[in-house]
Amino acid sequence: MRRSQDFRLQRVGGQDLLVPLGPRVKDANALIVLNAAGRQVWELLAEDRTAEELAAALARRFEADPARVLADVRSFLDDLGRKGLLEP
Amino acid sequence: MTGAAADYGALVRSLLRRAAAVRQPAHGTFELTSRCDLACRMCYIRRGAGEGTADAGELAASDWLELARRAAESGMVFLLLTGGEIFLRRDFFDIYEPLTRMGLVLALYTNGTLITPEVADRLARAPASRTEITLYGATAATADAVTATPGSFAAATAGIEALVSRGVPLALKTTLTRRNAHELEAMRRMAGEWGVPFSASWLLARRPDGGPSSAEECRLSAAEGLALESEDRASADDGTERALREAGAAAGENFYCRAGRAAFVVNPAGEMNVCSLLAEPAARPLQTGFAEAWARVTGYVEAAPPASAECRACDARADCGRCPAWSMLETGTLTEPAPYLCEIARGRRDRRRRG
Ligand code: SF4
Ligand code: SF4
Repeated sequence: MRRSQDFRLQRVGGQDLLVPLGPRVKDANALIVLNAAGRQVWELLAEDRTAEELAAALARRFEADPARVLADVRSFLDDLGRKGLLEP
Repeated sequence: MTGAAADYGALVRSLLRRAAAVRQPAHGTFELTSRCDLACRMCYIRRGAGEGTADAGELAASDWLELARRAAESGMVFLLLTGGEIFLRRDFFDIYEPLTRMGLVLALYTNGTLITPEVADRLARAPASRTEITLYGATAATADAVTATPGSFAAATAGIEALVSRGVPLALKTTLTRRNAHELEAMRRMAGEWGVPFSASWLLARRPDGGPSSAEECRLSAAEGLALESEDRASADDGTERALREAGAAAGENFYCRAGRAAFVVNPAGEMNVCSLLAEPAARPLQTGFAEAWARVTGYVEAAPPASAECRACDARADCGRCPAWSMLETGTLTEPAPYLCEIARGRRDRRRRG
């Protein structure tokens, strides 16, 4: 999967957030705030990635246990998917 | 890894607080026109609707877009388009549609009267995060009297319905005056029937240019306003103003709001100012570049003198909404007590003391 082109990553006072573009404002009528891990996932999703690849990258960067990170990544991706931020 | 904030307003306020700490011009307001099709007596802005964009000395659509691009490069993320009445500009969508693709969080302020089904269709294709429409009454008799424009109530109502039926995110608000305050609850019911959030405010400022607006004749007395406030039926200021205000600057500074720290306003002629009520320092972002203009605005706020000794020693200060813009409008200085606000603040203080 990869990220939708319909959102722009913005920064306000050091906080990362995703802003919907054009018609997407209607169904994603909220700003989506990202922490550092979320931001990294979003950046990686510029290209097609699996949950496992994302988890491995995060585990390296945050020096965490890949298995545990994978669960977090899956729930994050579910959330993004539900809000229409991902493309297959 | 993510959060969609439960309370959108609280999220925006906290983002602007963070932006203010690093002087990021995160919140822009573009006053696209000062022309309006209504003629509200209490209004601080209006010019007649008859003139064209160029006659009225307004920036061209291409200038607004250039300005938006430069501002976005410098950190603008939130952009409010307001007037006057924005839909009086025939080229409104030449400005608006490109903005919807720039990754900005857009808001629109309008009186709703010019929102035809065609305008509503175009807005629905790429709506702003929030479109706020001002109601002037709950009946044609009252609203048309406040706006001094027969038919304005019917036109605004049609505009609201056009947006509601197309699912455009909407909020209604009203500014209470002596003429329409008695219809507050009826307006709240109307909004409820449309399923749209509603807020009421009653603090009316004079015109910054010193022109005739009759704000003083129209606005509620301090006692009337305080009575509404104590029953939680209306607040002095509307939500955006409150968001911009929520004191982020070190307590005791004359400018305690986001103006000149995270927020700026550009007037129809392209001058960048601290806020809509304070037309200073009239920086020229299109001529000097955005960064230089923003530096002038932040510099103006930082160099502002402290509040008057009287305000600093005042025991109603915690209850007082005085700011440099209000001082300027009511006293011609950035620092002196504004008598109308004093009355309001002392009323609040006394109520608090009574418990
Ligand atoms: S200076 Fe006053 S009117 Fe202007 S934004 Fe600040 S609090 Fe509001
Ligand atoms: S109540 Fe009057 S004197 Fe006191 S802080 Fe407000 S404006 Fe100043």
